[in-house]
Amino acid sequence: MNPDVVLAIPALVESGALPPAAAPRLLRIARGELVSVHAELRALLYAGVLLLMGGVGLLVRQNLDRIGPVAVATVLGLAAAAALAWVVRVTPPFSWQEVALPNLAFDYILLLGLLLVAADLAYCEVQLGLAESQRAWHLLLVAALAGLAAFRFDSRVAFSLSLTTFAAWRGVALVDAANARAWGAATPWQAWRWNAIACGILFAGLGLGLAHWRRKAHFEPVAVHLGCLLALAGIATGIDEPAWGAALLLAGAALAAVAYRHRRFPLFAYGVVAAYAGVTRLLAELSHEPALGCLWFAASSAAVIAGLLVAHRRMKEPA
Amino acid sequence: MTPELDRADRAAAVRAAARSWRRAGLVDDAALAAVESVYPDDRARAGPVFRVLLFLFTVVAVSGLFGFLAIGLGGHEQALATLAAVAGAALLALTELQLGTLRRRQGGTEAATSLLGIGQLLAAAAWLVLGPGHMAPAAGVPLLCALAAALTGAAAWRWGYPFYAALGTAAALVALAHLPAGRAVWIALALAAAPALLRLSESPRLPPAHRSSAMAMLLVALAGLYLAVHAVSWEERIVERIGGRDPGLAPPASTQGSLLWWSAMAATALVPILVLAAGLRRRRLPLLLAGTVAAVASLATFHHYLGLGPAWLVLTGAGALWIAAVLGLWRYLDSGPAGERGGFTAAPLLTDARRQAALEVGVAVLTLQPEARHAEGERPFEGGGGRSGGAGATGEF
Repeated sequence: MNPDVVLAIPALVESGALPPAAAPRLLRIARGELVSVHAELRALLYAGVLLLMGGVGLLVRQNLDRIGPVAVATVLGLAAAAALAWVVRVTPPFSWQEVALPNLAFDYILLLGLLLVAADLAYCEVQLGLAESQRAWHLLLVAALAGLAAFRFDSRVAFSLSLTTFAAWRGVALVDAANARAWGAATPWQAWRWNAIACGILFAGLGLGLAHWRRKAHFEPVAVHLGCLLALAGIATGIDEPAWGAALLLAGAALAAVAYRHRRFPLFAYGVVAAYAGVTRLLAELSHEPALGCLWFAASSAAVIAGLLVAHRRMKEPA
Repeated sequence: MTPELDRADRAAAVRAAARSWRRAGLVDDAALAAVESVYPDDRARAGPVFRVLLFLFTVVAVSGLFGFLAIGLGGHEQALATLAAVAGAALLALTELQLGTLRRRQGGTEAATSLLGIGQLLAAAAWLVLGPGHMAPAAGVPLLCALAAALTGAAAWRWGYPFYAALGTAAALVALAHLPAGRAVWIALALAAAPALLRLSESPRLPPAHRSSAMAMLLVALAGLYLAVHAVSWEERIVERIGGRDPGLAPPASTQGSLLWWSAMAATALVPILVLAAGLRRRRLPLLLAGTVAAVASLATFHHYLGLGPAWLVLTGAGALWIAAVLGLWRYLDSGPAGERGGFTAAPLLTDARRQAALEVGVAVLTLQPEARHAEGERPFEGGGGRSGGAGATGEF
């Protein structure tokens, strides 16, 4: 409830600022006589799916010997099929544009179905006795399946699952040094870093492509945010070396500049923080004196604050 | 809180409501512009992203300056405490200047200076109270907590930050836990204060920030009440431990199966029910959410004591029941007249689609786990934290 808005609505109607027809419903909302629990129900459904999947994970792990592999795989498969069948039954026709969800549960039942498929696949992979280095392929399969489902059923939740599972696949696939060497990297750690950067660029490119060709353009923020964060995090993992500090500075500055032009506030923030971390890393090469370090943080942050105030005036982010 | 700040907050609440009406398509651009001209903004504000950035860099700048001065003082404790006290007072004055003469609000910098100011003053007080040759911790810690409660309470009252109201209430509870009957005081205080705080959180006479502060205090007080009556808290003597006393063994009267133990179990069940009932009756979402969280905690407690079954069965069953209950609730609300029942609706109403999309991005980032299973001693890639990112990804079956 909002007493200030309750007081304001009659005055706004009287002054002609608010159409009288809209007032009764707005007054009910402001008085707390009508409360939406839409977001809360979505959050609760998400929590329910996670709870259920946690139980399924334990069921498989703890009862493997008792139930038997065929029964476990069958039950998981049937449960996944039931969830996905419901999704297919209620889904609206395909469109490249944003489609209104048929109901509140749609996204989460789809997520449940995909996660059950993922668990079933991972289980079968282990049961088939695949070598450790080959056990990551189910992640690529799940990423592809979730990606397809995301486009067909217009689900941002499935799309983010697809991207994060793809990134997981790149991490898991380089599980051993042999794989890392196959990528031409000296250590697995370097290979992981390059994978993170490559995934980041791929995701950001995918997001920009979707927006450019107006194909599920509303997926763009998920892909671009994940991509930028992944790429910057990948670069930041090498910050022990000055060259990676310089790379972080350049990448952050470039991202901040592009985000500034296009008024993309969170991306601007990632860029500013990354560039600041990069320049701080480079200056740390010049001196290891703690007092000078403190002075740098005080002076540079004050300068950044001044810059941010100027940028804010020009970008005009709504408060 | 100054009358100017009160007026500015009330006008901001109306403008925010008008923007949500516009997003929901209930009014047009002309109506929004008219509302914004009737309730103009006389404050320098920043959007959420800039606010976070300004807060962050203000913290870094002030901490850097403090560190530089501290190094200059050569690490003498008394000099550092004096510096902290002077810096704290200066930062609080700077906050007052920003919110007063400079007419800032929701700008990030003033929140940072207020937080650092309170932190510095408390650090100075901690040295004064607990420093070498001063008070013993048994007497010093409650005094320090009382001071923290007073300082954050004053900050919440003067500047209208609900976070400080919550922090102050928590500090007061910790101070009260040091009393011989600390647990009883927690229970009595929460029960006595809850109705008044609930009324204050809806009072039109209070500025919006004070109403939010009252709700924040209520939630912390209810958390204290729940902790005080909770069965595990009885058994583990958690409130007594917070009060800095050696709890020793649990009293025989509180062992499992005794009357006291069953009373604690009943109270563990009753508090979430009462909070949910209050939330439903007053249609207050914070209470409904707090009641839901407490109900989940109580169910986990019952599972712990009563052994409701193997963990996988409880989790799977609870998850399935949970989903079924939410879907049932949604259908029940949706099938009511005009899609509402008892003043609740499952329709989005004034939901901010942009914020919801940002939340989805946030969840995607949090669930990112490009974490490789790695050989012993190797350093894994951690590309952004969090867990999951494809169920069954660990291959531990």
